[in-house]
Amino acid sequence: MATSGAIRPSMGSAVRAAQLSGLLTAVARPPASPFLASTTQTAGLSTTTSLLKRHTYAGARDNRDHSKKRGESALRRTGTRWRLSMSDEPLPRPVPKEKLPPVETDPDHGLWDFFYDRETVVNTPQEDAKHGRGWSVEELRHKSWDDLHRLWWVCVKERNRISTANYERRKSRLGFGDAEAKGRDREVRVTMRGIKHVLTERFYAWEDAKKLAETDPEVDLSGEGVAYTPMEYLEEEEVLLEEQTEAAEAQLEGHETQQEGKASGPAAVDPSTLPSEQTSREAPRI
Amino acid sequence: MQPTRALQALRYRKLRLTTKDVNKGFYKGTRTGSMGRHTKYGGYIIEWEKVRTYVCPDLTDFKLTPFVTMNMRKTFGQYESAAGPKDPAVYLARWKAENGLD
Repeated sequence: MATSGAIRPSMGSAVRAAQLSGLLTAVARPPASPFLASTTQTAGLSTTTSLLKRHTYAGARDNRDHSKKRGESALRRTGTRWRLSMSDEPLPRPVPKEKLPPVETDPDHGLWDFFYDRETVVNTPQEDAKHGRGWSVEELRHKSWDDLHRLWWVCVKERNRISTANYERRKSRLGFGDAEAKGRDREVRVTMRGIKHVLTERFYAWEDAKKLAETDPEVDLSGEGVAYTPMEYLEEEEVLLEEQTEAAEAQLEGHETQQEGKASGPAAVDPSTLPSEQTSREAPRI
Repeated sequence: MQPTRALQALRYRKLRLTTKDVNKGFYKGTRTGSMGRHTKYGGYIIEWEKVRTYVCPDLTDFKLTPFVTMNMRKTFGQYESAAGPKDPAVYLARWKAENGLD
């Protein structure tokens, strides 16, 4: 190093600094640069800021692009500026919506019951308004427990359908229809109120009847033996009916042989219209 | 943290308590019902007899709808006694006729 005249530019600043501190000999002095013309220090270890600068050749321009990510845009999908390790790998592209496979739905799914029609999401207000009136309490009084139970759940499902339609109408901003839906909902609620009323009434009547039966001589609520023992025998009408049916059965068996060849139809005689041949008799029910 | 001075004045003391008021000892439910019981260690045991269940019957082949035709007016029943449909004597008589003798 000491003998070579040409020293690497990167070493230049270090060499000059060492020179000033007196570490290098005069023989190995490198060619003087214009920047060193003014240095007059001979003692001390201080270095000037100019010597700490990076070496640049004369006439050199700053060609650097000071922004490494210049021009990169995710929005405009420019891609990266520099090659990455994954640049040559074929990345998957998203499938367009039209080419996706169709979604499989179960035609028997329970959630379909939340909608009136599978094709249209919501009914028009005209269709919604086509409903009757709710059940009156008197009409419901004649229904059995099973019927009332099932009718209740039919009402619940109908109200769910109405509520789903209201929500869908609001969410998708489909327009009017709330008033008609409200009217429909009111009739369903009237029916539900009637069902509850009937069942409550029946229960209270049962409770009161049970209380009344405790004082009834015909009824035995202890649980041993028959619950109901009627004091009176059958009424006359019921006795006549019983005899008539028995007589009709006997006549049918008797006339079977006679009516073999004849065609059935208008010629056949209704056995209940035939007069009873037996005398009236008292028949205890038990 | 404390409520503002305005709420600390006399008027707030007259407002109805909520579930968030009072430090200890004050319980206010939210109308969901009791589902079990507390343990002495602070836990809770669910009693499944208290938990409500919804029984939906089979609705296939059920012809009734929530609506009745508008061509028919509301029907009202005719009853002899003043109690009407709630009359226990009527209930008992009907039971005897339909269900008394099996």
